[in-house]
Amino acid sequence: MTHVSIKELTKVYPGATEPSLDRLSLEIPTGELTALLGPSGCGKTTTMKMIAGLLEPTSGDVTFDGRSVLKDKPEDRGVVMVFQNYLLFPYMSVADNVGFGLKMRKVDPVEIKRRVGEMLELVKLPDLGDRKPSALSGGQQQRVALARALIVQPNVLLLDEPLSNLDAHLRFEMRDLIRSLQQEMGITTIFVTHDQEEAVVLADRVALILDGRMKQYDLPDAFYKRPVDEATARFFGGHNFVPGTSDGCRFDSPLGKLTLPEGAATGQGKLTFRPENVRIAPEAAGQNTLNAVIADIIYLGTQTRLKLRVGETEVDAIMNPNEVETFSVGDTLPIYLPISTLWVIR
Amino acid sequence: MSDRMKIFLLLAPAMFIIVVLFFGGLLTGLMRSFNYMPVIGLTDPDLSAYVSVFTDREFYLSFLLTFHIAFTSTVISSILAIGAALLLRRSFVGRGIVNFLFQINLTVPHLVGAIGILYLFSQSGSFARLAAEFNMIQSPSDFPALVFDPYAIGIILQYVWKEVPFIGVIVLANMQSVGEDYESVARSLGASKWQTFRHVLLPLIFPGVLSASVMVFAFTFGAYEIPAILGANFPAALPVLAYRKYTDVDLAARPEAMAMAIVIALLSAVMIYFYLRYSRRRIRG
Repeated sequence: MTHVSIKELTKVYPGATEPSLDRLSLEIPTGELTALLGPSGCGKTTTMKMIAGLLEPTSGDVTFDGRSVLKDKPEDRGVVMVFQNYLLFPYMSVADNVGFGLKMRKVDPVEIKRRVGEMLELVKLPDLGDRKPSALSGGQQQRVALARALIVQPNVLLLDEPLSNLDAHLRFEMRDLIRSLQQEMGITTIFVTHDQEEAVVLADRVALILDGRMKQYDLPDAFYKRPVDEATARFFGGHNFVPGTSDGCRFDSPLGKLTLPEGAATGQGKLTFRPENVRIAPEAAGQNTLNAVIADIIYLGTQTRLKLRVGETEVDAIMNPNEVETFSVGDTLPIYLPISTLWVIR
Repeated sequence: MSDRMKIFLLLAPAMFIIVVLFFGGLLTGLMRSFNYMPVIGLTDPDLSAYVSVFTDREFYLSFLLTFHIAFTSTVISSILAIGAALLLRRSFVGRGIVNFLFQINLTVPHLVGAIGILYLFSQSGSFARLAAEFNMIQSPSDFPALVFDPYAIGIILQYVWKEVPFIGVIVLANMQSVGEDYESVARSLGASKWQTFRHVLLPLIFPGVLSASVMVFAFTFGAYEIPAILGANFPAALPVLAYRKYTDVDLAARPEAMAMAIVIALLSAVMIYFYLRYSRRRIRG
């Protein structure tokens, strides 16, 4: 049970002019599962290594339950990191890998054997203890790496891209496993990923880091509904950004005057809405209804992407393939932007 | 031409040298060690050369000395080389220069190194004179015997000086290819620095250390020139003993020299076999 707090954490590597991580601050409540999300090279792994004590920060602080841990050695922090490529010790059996942390703590070998057995049961690999890691599949290796980390009952668990090396069908299995183990043991968990889907699927809270700076730290759905800026929205697959002016109620733009939800930002800004929230307008046209021309239709299997044109403005829409079956390029399509799905970025 | 034929032809020159020179030499030596030398009329092979080798007390003393030289040199060189590699893989200012200096004596021949040791460490050498000059000892001859000494300290010094960079370069390359992530994992799982070295880094670099140290052991066990220059007269290292017999005015001593050479080769092979078996189990178990 550990509340992790990161204060103004900065890392400048020797010889670098730009910081790899620039004054990152983050509060991670006890027992939560938090994602650090960002493109490769944005400072995520650097952050994890500094939390684990494997790398020294240039400035800033990391505290566990209010106490700074920067002076603590990595082995004394109660933080365990699971690396992306698992890094199982190749010359040890699976059981020896899992028991490694206990052996280093000089736990009695009989006790180690018992707990390794339990742990392998927990990650659903009960019969593989005698194998060498090279004889396991990627998914199995990852579960062994997870077991090796959890057996020492860490206060904080760090995961580096936990799902990205797995096949699609294994991802959900692994996601469920990580979530259930994490909830059961109540371990404060931080994972890094470059994949927004991975972040949203797994995390209680997501911190988006772009160019070494934190952009937004929020619940997963907020990144879709209330992105702080265009870069954030784009990172989450946002496509529609229409410049204009907001008076708080209505947005004046090349698309015309659109009605905004309550509490929208005012002044110069950009209107954004998710492609999947664009609807075909019902018969009785009302507020926020526009006439669009279909410029392109891209069939994606379970959904269809439409490139639309409203006057000079391009609008991206994602619809159910059945809805748009009868339309073709060049047709006029009346569209509707639901009020509650609009968001103004200042 | 088929691929198989091509491979055979490409390998032929190297194989020719290995087979003809190595096995040819070995075979000739073997025949002579059995007193079979038709050129001088010896046509009835027997084991007399081996009998006289194994009944000679000097042979056993020489064997012990040679084993001591090879084993001690290999262990000390390996430990120092691993230590040096641990330091050299870190990044620090001037690392390039230190790395260069570390490797520079790879280019110096063993003989030159031996003469250097002689000049520096013998009882009439530079260190002895310096020590006398600063009144640490009364006269240079009071300097401890490090050359021509019964413990072969001079020989071991020379080998260590020469082999540390050799093993070090191999181990350093090995460490760099292993990377530091495994050690990070171990640290975060609660291993101390020493435990991380002992249980993670050492097993990972062990294949490299092992092959380098086996080469050093085989070389130092069978090398002639260094013990010839820096060694005591009695007991002499096995290769020195064998050479002395070979150049003896009594031609009858030659089969004995050959028998000894064959025994040296066999002993090296047997010791390397046990060394590999034993150490692999110790480090990885």
